[in-house]
Formats: sequence, C-alpha cells, structure tokens
Amino acid sequence: MKRDGMLYTVLFTFIICIVFVFFLALANELTKDRVASNNRLTERSAILSALGIAYTSPDQVDSLYDAQVSTLNTDQGPVYKATVEGQARYAAKVAGPGLWGTIRAILAVDERVERIEGFQIVSHNETPGLGGRIDEPWFKAQFRGEKIGPQGIAVLQGSGKGDPDPENSQLDAVTGASRTSQAVQDMVNKEISLFKSLRDKGGLQ
Amino acid sequence: MSAAKKRGPVSEILVQNLWWNNPIFIQVLGICSTLAVTNNLTNTAIMTIGVSLTTAFSSMSLSAMNKLIPNKVRMIVQVLVISFFVIIIDIVLRAYLPDISRSLGPYVGLIITNCIIMGRAEGFARSNPPLLSFWDGLTSGFGYMAVLMLIAVVRELLGFGSLFGIPLLSALLGAAFTPWTIMIMAPSAFFLVALVMWGAKTLQENMKIASKTAVQTKQGGAK
Repeated sequence: MKRDGMLYTVLFTFIICIVFVFFLALANELTKDRVASNNRLTERSAILSALGIAYTSPDQVDSLYDAQVSTLNTDQGPVYKATVEGQARYAAKVAGPGLWGTIRAILAVDERVERIEGFQIVSHNETPGLGGRIDEPWFKAQFRGEKIGPQGIAVLQGSGKGDPDPENSQLDAVTGASRTSQAVQDMVNKEISLFKSLRDKGGLQ
Repeated sequence: MSAAKKRGPVSEILVQNLWWNNPIFIQVLGICSTLAVTNNLTNTAIMTIGVSLTTAFSSMSLSAMNKLIPNKVRMIVQVLVISFFVIIIDIVLRAYLPDISRSLGPYVGLIITNCIIMGRAEGFARSNPPLLSFWDGLTSGFGYMAVLMLIAVVRELLGFGSLFGIPLLSALLGAAFTPWTIMIMAPSAFFLVALVMWGAKTLQENMKIASKTAVQTKQGGAK
C-alpha cells in the first residue's frame, strides 16, 4: 500500500489514534483509585486547615476528619461543622470562575458569620506565578480572622499596602493578577451571603 | 561547527544542544514558557524536567515509526504522540506525586505548547534513529533547562529574595530588601532572555574567531 495513499493515511491515523488512546485509557483506569483517594485527601486537608484544625502529617487527616468534622446537609449543599477552641465553625466548598478555569476552595466562617475562619484552595488553573499565587500561604493567611463587613470582604487592587488589620474587611490582592483576585473576592462574598442566609434560616447549628 | 569533526555523534549532539544550537538563545523556541515559569526555581526545575522527558520520549517514538507515518498527517501524528506523553506524565504525577502535581497545576499541560518538542521531532527525529533521537530530545531539554534555570535564579532572587523558596536575600538584608516587582512578572524575562542571547552570541562569535585563528582552517556555519 502506498504510504501517501488515501486509504493508508486514513487507516494509519485511525489505528494510531486507537492505540494511543487505548494506552491513555489504560493508564487512567489503573491510577483511577489512587487519584480519587488523593483528591479526597486534598479536599479533607483543605477543610481541616480552613476550620483551623492542625495536623502534622497526611496520615492524620482521615482520622482527624472523621473524629471532628460533621457534615450538615443543607439546601445549599453540604456544610462541614467542627468545634474548635470551644467555638462552632462552619466550612463549605466554594467554586467560581477564575481567569482560566474554575477555582475550587473551602471557606470557613464562625457561628455568627461575623468572621472568616479560614480559606483554602483545593484546585485552580490560574497562571503560574501570577494568579497561581492565590495558593501561597501569605494570601490564604490574610483571610483568617478577617471581619466580614456588610458587603462581605474587599480584595484591594493597586491600593493594597500589606494590610494587617483584621477589622476592616480588606485584603491585599495578588500583584499582576487582578482578574484572579477579583474572582476570589466574588466567590468568597457569594459564599458569605449564602452562609448569612443559612444562618438567618437557622441552618447553622 | 568548530571542532565538530573530532567528536562522535553523541557528544556532538550534547554540545550542539547545550551551546552552539541552544533551543533558547539560538533557535529561539519555547519562549512562552520561559516568560511564564521562570519567576520561581522549583516550578522551573519541574517544568524543564517535564519538557526534557517529553521531548526525549516523543522524539524516540516518532523516529521509530517515522517510516510508517504518511506525510499528509505527519504533524497531526506528532501532536498526538506529544500530547500522549504529556498526559501520561500528568497521570503519573497525579497518582504518585499528588503534592507536586498540585503545585504544578497547569504547568504540565503547558508542556504541550512548547515549540522545542515539535521542533526536535521535525528537525531531528524525522531523519535519525530512535536512540539518537531520544538523546537529542533529552539534551535539547537540558539546553532549555540550563537557560531557564539561569534566568530563574536572577528573577527569584531579585523578585522574591529567595532561591527554591528558601529566603536568602530577604533574610540577609531584612527590611532593607525591596522586592523588585517586575522580576516576578513576565516582561522581566524578556529583558533577561535578550541579555542571555546577547551574551551567548557574543561569546560564540569570539570563540569562533579564536578557533579560526588557532587552527587556521575554514569552518562551516552554525546551522
């Protein structure tokens, strides 16, 4: 058969696609369980960190999670509850459109939805080195203990000066990542209003 | 190239890819990732290792099936093979090194967009045997790695004051250290790549002149 003939070209392309896709599917299938358990671990670690429950090694995550975190099924999806330092704290999954893809995170608030207790990123596709820096500790640490204002929180762009004040409901954005910072602000505020409506309905208990 | 005749193909490929025909400062390929990832040494290291492995394996498999690939769909098959290896790397990282996979996030996918991989597939693997193509791909990746690491050292040190995330300049100078913000952002890599190109090309010219006067023989061109 001629190498540049129509039939050979079509057959070759067809077969080569089947072969490569077969191996990809095989690799995906073989690692599926591992990947799923890794993802569950990532999510649980993020929930623990957001709620302020300290753990030292990944092995502790599952046992700590089972012992301390209870799941409330509300009409707005699952809410994770834990009592830390004598205070009830609530966490929920948040997701919002970032610049390139969905940003998934965990947001934890106190019982009266007056302060943010923690914020952890589960996954994102933001530009490495720019928007991707929302996953850096300094950015996430800003949320802990920040007072929730009437409008939620504001992520300051351009005017952020390393704001250390937890009372003013203001956080610093990531330099060079206005859109990502805006996206984080929007998704956090949306979740805060959900938490508030849940609180007003008596859903947080 | 200078002294080329004395070396065997294996060391000749190494020298070409690392220096005389470096993917970054001579071929000017893979510039997008050079701008994107070099503000952080850890990410740069992992990205360049990923590119080296992908280039090596895709060059090897494309060279092995070279005789079978119809000309009309050559590039489509190249893209298929390259993306296959990138996805395999992604799957392996997600299953066995979840922390690295998480910190890399979109980097792994970005390997596909690296022009060096297709450049080597077209420029070398098409007309060379599989093992030599593997070596060519790997060393091309190393040439890319060398330049990116150099740029990343400058950018991370001046932009964050750290190396591999370990505070260095910022710890040493304390409050006197002011992060040079543009170093964190992509444009600074433009200037640094240009400086590297300038330096490397000047050095290469000088080396060529030096070897010409030393040997007093006519040398072939760089390409």
